[in-house]
Amino acid sequence: MFLAFHEMKRAKVRFGLLTGAVGLLVFLILFQQTLLSGLVNQFIGALKHQSGEVLVYNDQARKNLEGSIILPEQLAAIQQIEGVADASPLGEATFTVTAGGQERDTVIFGYELGRAGAPTTLIEGRLPAAADEAVASEKDTADGYGLGDVIQVQPDGAQITVVGIARDLNYSVSPVLFVDWATYEAAKRTRNPDAERILPSAVAIHVVDGEAASQVVDRINATVAGVEAMTRQQAIDGSPGVSSVRSSFAVILALFYLVVPLVTGLFFLIVTFQKASALTLLRAIGAPAKVLVRSLLVQVVVVTLAGSVVAFGLYAGALQGVKNLGVHVEVMPAVQTSLVVLALALATSLVAIRRVLRIDPIAATTGAGVTL
Amino acid sequence: MTVLDMRDVRKVYRSGDADIVALDHATLQVDHGEIVALLGPSGSGKTTLLSIAGGLLTPTEGTVTVNGIDITGHDAKELTKFRRENIGFVFQAVNLVPFLNAEENLLVVDELGGGKGGKTAKGRARELLDELGLGARTRNLPAQLSGGERQRVAIGRALFNNPKLVLFDEPTSALDTKIGAQVMELIRNEMKARDTAAIIVTHDRRMTQYADRTVEIVDGRLGAEAPVAPQA
Repeated sequence: MFLAFHEMKRAKVRFGLLTGAVGLLVFLILFQQTLLSGLVNQFIGALKHQSGEVLVYNDQARKNLEGSIILPEQLAAIQQIEGVADASPLGEATFTVTAGGQERDTVIFGYELGRAGAPTTLIEGRLPAAADEAVASEKDTADGYGLGDVIQVQPDGAQITVVGIARDLNYSVSPVLFVDWATYEAAKRTRNPDAERILPSAVAIHVVDGEAASQVVDRINATVAGVEAMTRQQAIDGSPGVSSVRSSFAVILALFYLVVPLVTGLFFLIVTFQKASALTLLRAIGAPAKVLVRSLLVQVVVVTLAGSVVAFGLYAGALQGVKNLGVHVEVMPAVQTSLVVLALALATSLVAIRRVLRIDPIAATTGAGVTL
Repeated sequence: MTVLDMRDVRKVYRSGDADIVALDHATLQVDHGEIVALLGPSGSGKTTLLSIAGGLLTPTEGTVTVNGIDITGHDAKELTKFRRENIGFVFQAVNLVPFLNAEENLLVVDELGGGKGGKTAKGRARELLDELGLGARTRNLPAQLSGGERQRVAIGRALFNNPKLVLFDEPTSALDTKIGAQVMELIRNEMKARDTAAIIVTHDRRMTQYADRTVEIVDGRLGAEAPVAPQA
């Protein structure tokens, strides 16, 4: 500690620059991760934050809720499956609505009140308790989807009042309204008054307590013809666009996760070479190798953690500027990212550690230090 | 009483198929408070002898006992501890840690020994630096000190742990004659004041006048020994 902190104290600019560089790179990782999370939430937030642990689509829909319908006999069959506590119809359709004085595309989710399919991230107000009431997404409150706002489904459809606001409830990058099934049916009929019946897009399922969702999924797929059951996570992962967005971001993030530890490892390797003669002297006067290694590791930890603090500050500040993307400051992912970066930085500093361990104290008599 | 007892020490380096004998059956004893000048040309084996005496190198043959501790069979870890606790070093080239100031360069010895650089250690460091004429330079980094001042800080570091044996490897080679003489004078005074034994490796015969005895080394063999007249 003595050596580590005194060296950093005497080389503030050098270590400060590294800390800044690590901070900027970790900030980019955090920002990209949050953007990814925000984008994914805008694609499928409504699915992610509804209460059904299992979702069942038509097997022809290719995991696209927009292209799925469930027949009454399929719903009835699903309700009979062992492990299903509640199987409730879930409707999804995009409508043109008037909100905030403007016409906008809005996705309306219809579910049976008190049953599977209800939004789970309510932060203000309440869930719908009657027809023509809705929960909207926090992100869209400023666009006429705030608490108490009235939204009219076009053409000349129901007037829906927002009674609750939930977090991350968008779908297909559009505003979302969660309404009761009857309101959903009424909205559908405004578009197609001659429809004999309004079929659900999917089935949202609560599984029996203690039952694994994946087992219920397997049973449904094995028993009910023409449907594809998925856990909520599988439905999210399989949604159109989500996997391609994730894989694009994964490449960028992987590059950042590679660059941060490389920068750190290279810096400490260079510093080790630069102070090779001092390290050799210390070894000659009786410094155990582990003391020098510990000193190096302390510096890696301090620089990485200080860089992470800098990154978090930048991240929190930057997210204030992009609130309209539906992104939030999340502490735990930031902590996890910092720990991963720290572990990788420690791993890459092994090269510098190896150099320290290779120091031969006899070199103090010749003035030589660490050799390549 | 003998502080250093080297008997029949050989050091052989392997280079390809050839053996290079750096030290050939060297026997040397140094008593408490005795200052021995080890004189020889470049490549004569004087630094090898010093390194073996200080536990930086292990001998190929022979025995080395320092302050009653037989270090002949010590492994690298034991030698590190031995050096930390028993030997003071002043090297020719690099002697100070550049990112530590003068006082911290002494305190690092305490730190390496498991100390925390507390009041006692700081007090001793300042006392030593005062004694070496560096009382006003305790906060200076090595880069802010002259060559002579740097060597004096190195002497302070070498004495910090009260070793029984201090090894000087060409301590004045980087200094001009006047400063070199001052440093040698200081070394002699400090060693004598503490009754500490010292070996001073040098190729400069003028420096032998500060030693009690001069031992010459040529081609790895210790040669003539000559007592030196004490300093006036």
